[in-house]
Amino acid sequence: MFDTINPKSAGPIHRQIGDQIRRSVAAGLLVPGDKLPSVRELASRLLVNPNTVARVYRDLERDGLLETRRGQGTYISANAAALAESERRRLVSENLDAAARDVHAFGLSEKAALDLFREVLANRRPQPEEER
Amino acid sequence: MSDNAYAITTYSLSKRFGRHKALDDVSARVPRGSIYGLMGPNGAGKTTFVRCLLNLINPTRGSAAVLGLDVVRDSVAVRQRVGHVAALQPLWEWMKVSEFADFMAGCYPRWNPEPVSAVLSRVGIDREARIQTLSRGQRALAALAVAIGHEPDVLLLDEALTGLDPIARREVLRNIIEAMHAEGRTVFITGQDIADMERICDHVGFLVKGRLLLESTLDELKARVKRIRVEHPADASPEIPAGALQVDRTARETIFTTRDFSPDLLTSLAGPNRRLEALDLSLEDIFVNLAQQNTEAAT
Repeated sequence: MFDTINPKSAGPIHRQIGDQIRRSVAAGLLVPGDKLPSVRELASRLLVNPNTVARVYRDLERDGLLETRRGQGTYISANAAALAESERRRLVSENLDAAARDVHAFGLSEKAALDLFREVLANRRPQPEEER
Repeated sequence: MSDNAYAITTYSLSKRFGRHKALDDVSARVPRGSIYGLMGPNGAGKTTFVRCLLNLINPTRGSAAVLGLDVVRDSVAVRQRVGHVAALQPLWEWMKVSEFADFMAGCYPRWNPEPVSAVLSRVGIDREARIQTLSRGQRALAALAVAIGHEPDVLLLDEALTGLDPIARREVLRNIIEAMHAEGRTVFITGQDIADMERICDHVGFLVKGRLLLESTLDELKARVKRIRVEHPADASPEIPAGALQVDRTARETIFTTRDFSPDLLTSLAGPNRRLEALDLSLEDIFVNLAQQNTEAAT
């Protein structure tokens, strides 16, 4: 479930870990009730500072994605399903934003950009036999 | 924060070897419970700093305290609460790992063999193996295991990762993280591999030519030091704020590093037909930017 962390990438490590959890929820790989590894386990698996993992869990709990059950651990919260929809939109819109900047910087017309996006979408459409 | 909040404090710590200033007025503060990385090139004074804390050498000027204890006056008490691992520490080659552990146990009034055994078995080191038969990585792990037998509150790891292959480095990193989980234990680590340090440290200090250029939490540092990119019409390049580093100008693009980022900075750079972008930097980039500026200022 958890990918590796790349300290050489410019983004802070806590953001990398947080984004991985958000993406997993958005993609339905983590669903309400799923248990997350303990801070210690995850820190040791990703080779990052335990304080960083604790902070990610705290932040995601504040955002309503996680809940801590006393003495039991950290779980994906019940309202994560509702949040997943807005997460999906947010994550895609983040990527589109970067593309939109290029469109304007390169002086592409909006029509050309939309045509291009339709083409890319079609190319990426999952084939029936590859369905999950 | 009171001094109690810090595991290590130094006050204008200075050490001269003849005319060479190995440490020059270093005032550092290492919060309790943090993993603090002291980074710097070879010869920056990192090892001298650690040796001062252990009272292996006397500072020329200034003072230092570990857990509120003066490192010179209370050096015995300091040693009992500090675990130390040095790079390529000379271990007694002819000893078995178990004999080495027993020997170290005899040096301390209080000893708990459990964490030592836990690390040794976790990393698969045979207690009956002679130290001379261990690989470099295994030696580092054995030294780390034995360094926590007296359950120190502070771990001083001097270049503990230097010279290890990637697999051994990961194993040592993992065990540092595990060792840190003892309640409130502080880890102070020196080294040059900035990517490794960025993984595990929450506080960093940059030591260059004996001077502490900067000390900060990693998050604050990354929020403050950013690369700014401005696209602008050919005849309207922006005025670069004072203190900018690594300025790179072309006709329609200006890029520089700021050590003092704020949204206000972007507002002040905004203008007609300009596009602004603030980019995060990796710790390595930040270090190179700041270190170069320091060398330029010195010449």
